Amino acid sequence: MLQVLICRNEAEKCLIETSINSLRISLKVKQADELENILTKKFLRFLSMRAEAFQVLRRKPVQGYDISFLITNYHCEEMQKHKLIDFIDIDKEISELKMSVNTRGRLVATEFLKQFV
Amino acid sequence: MMTWHDTSPWRLIIIFRLNHANLNSYIYQHFHEVGGQETNWNFSIASKCNLYNELGTPATTESVIEESSPFSKYIIKVIFSFWVSTVEHKEDEKLKRSKRLNNNFTNNSKTKNHVKIIREISTVESVVLSSQLKEILQNVNSHDTVKGMYKPIKLFYHPREPFFVIRQPQRIVAVFPIRFREKTDVIIATTFFQELMEVGSSDKWAKAPRLSWSAIPPPELRGEALEDLSTNGGFVSFDISSHHIEGKRLDKTVWNLLNFNAYVRYHVKSTKGFIQRRMRKKLESLVEVLHHTSSEENEENKKRQGCRYMKKLVRTSKYDILKRRCGNFSRQVKRIRFRLKIHGFGRFRHRWLKIPKFSSKGYTKLE
Repeated sequence: MLQVLICRNEAEKCLIETSINSLRISLKVKQADELENILTKKFLRFLSMRAEAFQVLRRKPVQGYDISFLITNYHCEEMQKHKLIDFIDIDKEISELKMSVNTRGRLVATEFLKQFV
Repeated sequence: MMTWHDTSPWRLIIIFRLNHANLNSYIYQHFHEVGGQETNWNFSIASKCNLYNELGTPATTESVIEESSPFSKYIIKVIFSFWVSTVEHKEDEKLKRSKRLNNNFTNNSKTKNHVKIIREISTVESVVLSSQLKEILQNVNSHDTVKGMYKPIKLFYHPREPFFVIRQPQRIVAVFPIRFREKTDVIIATTFFQELMEVGSSDKWAKAPRLSWSAIPPPELRGEALEDLSTNGGFVSFDISSHHIEGKRLDKTVWNLLNFNAYVRYHVKSTKGFIQRRMRKKLESLVEVLHHTSSEENEENKKRQGCRYMKKLVRTSKYDILKRRCGNFSRQVKRIRFRLKIHGFGRFRHRWLKIPKFSSKGYTKLE
C-alpha cells in the first residue's frame, strides 16, 4: 500500500494511504494550548460518536493521529468530491471554535467588570 | 444560576402558605438553602404565629465577632433595624455556632403590612451573610489595630466554596480558591480568568477592582490549612480599595464578591452548552453537504459548462482534427471501392440474381 505523509511539523501532519479503490486519510490536528486540546478532543469525539452519519469517518483513528477517514470509490461516485475535501478541513473549525470561546469569555468578563463601575 | 438574592423565594413561598394556613395547627420545616445554612422552622399557628429562624453562622475570626456571640454587634444591629418589631433575639446555648431568631407576627392576613413583613423575614440569610462582608469592607480605611487583624478571614457562601478576606493597609484583598470537578471546566474557567485579567488591566476599567489570577496561592494565605490551598483552578484575588465601597457601590461590591463563584460556574456551564450547540450545528451542515448525490453534482457541472457545442469547439485538439480527416478519407476510399463497375455484371444480376415477386393473390382457399 502506497503511503504519503504530508507534515507541517510534529504536531500537524496528514497521512494518506492508498489502495486500488480506496484512500485512508489520517489527520493530526494542531493543539497549541490546553483549550485547543480539549476543543479538539470534544469535537472529534462528538464526530466519532456519530460516524454512521458520515460514512467516510472511521470510529477509531490510526495510531498517532486524531481522526481517520476511509474514502472508497463508492463514496467518490455517490458524494461530492470537492465537498469531501471540505469535510477534512477540521482544524479550521477548531480554531474558529477557540476564537468564539475566547470572545465569549471577554464579553462575560466585560459584563462582570461593568457591575463594579 | 445559584446567585445570591435578597429575598429567598423558597422562604417566601413557605411564609405565604403559612399565612393562609388554618389556626391551631403546628408545622415543622427543615431545609438547606444556598449558602449551606441549615434552617429549622417551627410554626405554631394560634392567634399568634411564632417563627424560629435557626441559622448556622459562618465561621469567622475573633477580630470580627465577639467570643460570646456568633453574630457580631454590627449584624445584630442590622437585624434589629431591619425587622423593626418582629424579631426577638435569643441565643441557643446548646448550638455553639447557631442563632435562633424568633419572629412574632400576628396571623392577620388582612393587614396591609403582612406582605412587607413576610418579605422582610425571607431576607434573613441575605442580611446576615452580606452584613458580615459589608462590615469587613466598611473598615477598609480604619486605623484600629487589633491583634491578628491582618489574618485571613474565611467566609462561607457555600460550604464547599469558602473565600478569604484579608485586611491590609488601605485595601482589602478577597481571594477565591477555584475548584472544579472536571478538567474541561478548569480550562474554560482559566481562559475566562485570563480574559478577565486582560480586560481589567485596560484603562477603561481603571475604576474596577484590580484583579489577578495565579495557579499558586498568594503569599497572604501563607499558613492556612492545606485543604484550603489545594485547588485545581488557581486563585483569583480582588483588591478592594476605599472608592469601591463608597455609597451605593458597597452593595454592588458585596453582591459581586458573594456571587463571583456562581458567576464563574454559570459561565463555564453556558460555554459548554455553547460548544455543544456549535458542534451540533456543524455536524448538521457536514451531513447535509456530504449527502448531496453525484447527480446533483453533474447538474451543477452542466450549469457551469454552458453550451455543449461551444465546449466541442473549444476542446477540439490537433489529434481530433487529424482523426476526423483520416475518417473522411477512409470513407471516401470505401465509396470508391464499392463504385467499381464490371461490364455485364448488371445484366447478370438482373437475370439470375433477381428475387422473384410473389403476389398476395397467388393462393387458393382450402375448403
